[in-house]
Amino acid sequence: MISLSTLRADAEALARQLPGLTLQAAAADVIHPGAAGRKRAGSGEQFWQYRRYTQTDAADRIDWRRSARGDEYFVRETELETARTILSWVDPHAGFDWSSDPGRETKADRARTILLAQGIVFAKQGERIGLISGHRPASLGKSAPDKLAEDLLSTSTDQLQPPRAQALAIIASDFYDGAEAWRERLAPLARTCRHGVLLAVSDPIEHAFPFTGRTKFSRPGSALDRLFGRAETVRETYLEKLAAHETALADLAANMGWALVKHRTDEAALRGAAAVQSALEQFGAKA
Amino acid sequence: MTLGPFLFMAPLTLLGLIALPIIWYILRATPPSPKLAQLPSLRLLENVDPKEETPSRTPWWILLLRIGAAALAILGLSQPIFAPNAGRDQAASGPVLVVMDDGWTSAQRWGELRSAALSAMNGETRDTPAHILLTAPRALPADPGERLDRAAFEARVRSLQPQAWNIDREEALARLTESQLRPGRILWLTDGLDPETAAPFARALADLAPLSIYAAPARGPMALTRLAADAQGVTLTAARTDGTAPSTQFVSALTLDGAALATADLSFANGEDTASATFSLPPAALSRVSRFQVTGSATAGTVWLWDSADRSRRVGLVSGDSTAQPLLSDIHYVRKALEPFATISEGELTDLIDENPDAIILTDIGQIDGDAKAAINQWIEDGGALIRFAGPRMAGPQVATREDDLVPAPLRRSSRAIGGTLTWEDPQPLGTFPEASPFAGLTAPEDIRVRQQVLALPGPELARRTWARLADGSPLVTADRRGQGTLILFHVTAGPDWSDLPYAGVFVDMLRRSIAAGRGEAISDEEGLYTPALTLNGTGRLTQPSAGATPLRAAEFGAVQLSEAHPPGLYQGPAGTRALNVAAEYTPVTMTEWPASATLLGDTEARTLRLGGLLLGGALLLLCIDLIVALALAGRLPVLRRSAAAVVVMLAGTALCVPEPAFAQSSFGSSQFDDLDKEVAAALEMRLAYIETGDARADRATKAGLEGISLVLFRRSSVEPAAPHAVDPETDALDVYPALFLSLPENPEPFSATAVARLNAYMRNGGALFIDTRRGGTVGGGNSFDNLDQILAGLDTPPLAPVPDDHVLTRSYYLIQSFPGRYENRNLWIEATGAADKTERRGDGVSRLFVGDADYLAAWAIDERGRPLYSVDGGDAQRELAIRFGVNLIIYILTGNYKEDQVHIPALLERLGEDDGVGDFNVQDGVIP
Repeated sequence: MISLSTLRADAEALARQLPGLTLQAAAADVIHPGAAGRKRAGSGEQFWQYRRYTQTDAADRIDWRRSARGDEYFVRETELETARTILSWVDPHAGFDWSSDPGRETKADRARTILLAQGIVFAKQGERIGLISGHRPASLGKSAPDKLAEDLLSTSTDQLQPPRAQALAIIASDFYDGAEAWRERLAPLARTCRHGVLLAVSDPIEHAFPFTGRTKFSRPGSALDRLFGRAETVRETYLEKLAAHETALADLAANMGWALVKHRTDEAALRGAAAVQSALEQFGAKA
Repeated sequence: MTLGPFLFMAPLTLLGLIALPIIWYILRATPPSPKLAQLPSLRLLENVDPKEETPSRTPWWILLLRIGAAALAILGLSQPIFAPNAGRDQAASGPVLVVMDDGWTSAQRWGELRSAALSAMNGETRDTPAHILLTAPRALPADPGERLDRAAFEARVRSLQPQAWNIDREEALARLTESQLRPGRILWLTDGLDPETAAPFARALADLAPLSIYAAPARGPMALTRLAADAQGVTLTAARTDGTAPSTQFVSALTLDGAALATADLSFANGEDTASATFSLPPAALSRVSRFQVTGSATAGTVWLWDSADRSRRVGLVSGDSTAQPLLSDIHYVRKALEPFATISEGELTDLIDENPDAIILTDIGQIDGDAKAAINQWIEDGGALIRFAGPRMAGPQVATREDDLVPAPLRRSSRAIGGTLTWEDPQPLGTFPEASPFAGLTAPEDIRVRQQVLALPGPELARRTWARLADGSPLVTADRRGQGTLILFHVTAGPDWSDLPYAGVFVDMLRRSIAAGRGEAISDEEGLYTPALTLNGTGRLTQPSAGATPLRAAEFGAVQLSEAHPPGLYQGPAGTRALNVAAEYTPVTMTEWPASATLLGDTEARTLRLGGLLLGGALLLLCIDLIVALALAGRLPVLRRSAAAVVVMLAGTALCVPEPAFAQSSFGSSQFDDLDKEVAAALEMRLAYIETGDARADRATKAGLEGISLVLFRRSSVEPAAPHAVDPETDALDVYPALFLSLPENPEPFSATAVARLNAYMRNGGALFIDTRRGGTVGGGNSFDNLDQILAGLDTPPLAPVPDDHVLTRSYYLIQSFPGRYENRNLWIEATGAADKTERRGDGVSRLFVGDADYLAAWAIDERGRPLYSVDGGDAQRELAIRFGVNLIIYILTGNYKEDQVHIPALLERLGEDDGVGDFNVQDGVIP
């Protein structure tokens, strides 16, 4: 497993290359009205300003008390208060913490790097970041990335405990247990988190399937193994299955209202991070 | 144990065959082990049934392969021998005696004789002793009475080699009788030749015990029996014994160190037992030949050693000339003509006669008197050839009164000058050679002219004595026999004073044939002792003489019986080397009448074949195939993906290797054509070139830079370069490019010695090399040429200096003051043109080497749309200056010091300006026309 300092350095480098996450106000409105004022008008509890009534405003938004003092109509606006919670989770399965080439980082490490980079960006925006089923709640502020980094490396739980409040979830795994199994696992989470990202990280060898001859395959972290007399004959089938699996995953994500981001460890980490980010921004657009 | 025609030395091993079914069972049960691979996405394949599963059992043909290997190994270990004779043999009642003819006549089929000897003990009981009798005489002969057990017998037989001399069967029989041996059975392995001794020998053996005979007479040419050398070449005669079908063999002429100089056909006609091979070699080559050998034959009889006595005539030269100008003297022409094929000695006439050479050549010796005359007359009578050349002394008036009888025909007392200013006649060419003359057959070149000659007095004998004439019929060479010898007179000088004859090749042939008229008796010292220098062994190889070889007297050479003391070979003596050839004058006669009581073995019966090694080798081969097949099946052989293909490859075996070179050939060929195209393109159109450094980035920048500067040149000047080329200094032709650019990358690889040597040659021949280290922008780098001498180690660098202010580079096209690239204020270094070394200046004072570090090429670089690629320190203004420098540089390289003349233009203008108004030309403005 990647060391804490390396992880942090990689993620910092990655986060520096990512543009700041500018969620649209509308999107921010949707998500979890929460604690911190955003110094602009929006949904919140604190008074922000009175502004003149425009024709597009609904009649019931007119603040009659203020309007009564003069000839014009005023609308009362409150300060926008959002602090979204972004929760991450990395699959602890041995098959996920695995790389076909000793020189290449494992899928899990790549996922951690991307997640932490996202966390750093979010933390700068003033969002809460944390871990699903983590032993401490999501946190704000400058120390949040440190905590997230530690948690990413130390916590490894199979459980997907739904958070108490609305949050954005980023689930990193290879999802090779099948879309149905994951639908069941994610169902309680999806009830709480309306939006999320499935980050499917895969190794290039899983796409290439370069095996030939008599080959005995084993799945890391499980007792599963299969013997193929001529591995090249099952390649076509395998690639079909893989494509079907990816389609199923995309369907799963769509059904849940989540986004699916596919990433391979031979691609640049920045690409994965950017894809995650754009997926998160999409939520803003949709809402 | 015997089984049909097979003998088994270790029959118990055959019990191992019982284990084969067990091996079969085990092999069946264990499939080849699979490769292991980890795959997290294996879950995807959970419900997939493989379309084509390798059977968990090994395929039948692999099983067969392995069982076959095991069976072969077991059979091989049981040491079977194929011996068709073995079963038939009755066990002998006593010891077995093996008689072997081991003379040189047996050498050709020695292998068969030896294997027949080895099979002698097959079928005998273990304790039967063996005895060996060898018929070739030795100084210390082996005792036939020595008892040998089976192992010792085999070791002894294997160590036997044929001897290089003849066998002596009577002596061998005497030895056998002396040993009191009573053999139970005799096997005689003979060369089947020489019935005179073989018949009584066979009878004597048959009387002693039951006799089996295996006769192996040599096949094909077995002996070189005669050598005849004449002026034309060398003819060798060979003999054979199986003289029925026509056959053609070859004889090689070899030097002493074994290099073959020539090969000649040796064609036996139908039914003929002898054939001859003729070598027509130039004399110089012939003199290097030291032996002849029948190609592909390795016996002492098929080698003919050629000694110096046979080979080269010995010639004495006596000259009347002074030796002040040795290269112009007559004797020089004679010496040069004779050197290739004759041993030449020079000296006083009397000394030479004592040496008794084949021929003595006198050039323009007037008169011979006294003792010398008597001695030389005697020598000619004994067979010497005296060759005289005419000359001023012979024709001079001072000898006119005296009779010179050492001429073939009486001479007129003056010489005849043809074609002089006072004569009407033209110089005469050679006529044809008379039929009876030894020169007949030579062709006389038509352009030879004889300007002066001595004339013979006409006489009845003259026509008969004339060997060569001029076109007008006057004799040029006359000769007369005196006793056994010959007296020959050339009526011209040996030098070119009187005629062109010494210039002509025919002169050499005429001299050679004249010398051949001498008897050639070379051996003068009957008492001389010849020691063996190199001896032939039984297999026809030259070896150092063994300790038993003793010296021979010269007189004994004719009659010596070859033996261990006098083996065939080259003997070194006072008069050069002499050769003893074992087959000289040998006539092979095949034995046909064998004693009735003897059993004559055929070739197959006498032969046994040990199969153990073959079988074990076969087993090993099968196992190797099995290994490759197993690897292929397990997918470990990347080339052989499919096992079917693997099998095909196995079967095709080495045949598959054949297409590969062909493929390499074709690809090589095409690349060669590419090179050619490139050279042609470069030669047809002027273009710049850069040296590829292997760093793609740097090379791209260099290429773009050259494209940029080429475009600018095209637009602004009359230099219109084509697209730049990348060149490899090790392989490409450099001379077709006027300038090479080398732009070094960050960490350049050193150039090879070949590349640097070729660059040196390129610069020497006038090419220009521009080196840009591109490090001008490095902060704190004092000297950016630090590693240049490591990268271009050995580059022929003249003293370098920064470009002087008034150098031609500053005005060859534009007037410029500095030479910026991407970096400003960097020095450009060129060859120093100091006054001191003006004499050594190369290329007319034009610098062929430019070294800079300002990254010029990057400043010139443009992309495909003509936009600059790299930033420049001083912006566009500096880029323009850099480009102007580039234009100046190319113009300077192309025009050399042409613009250097402009140095004087102010003075010229000043001088001119006084009368006409040329002064309006302003040098500061810009382009000089």
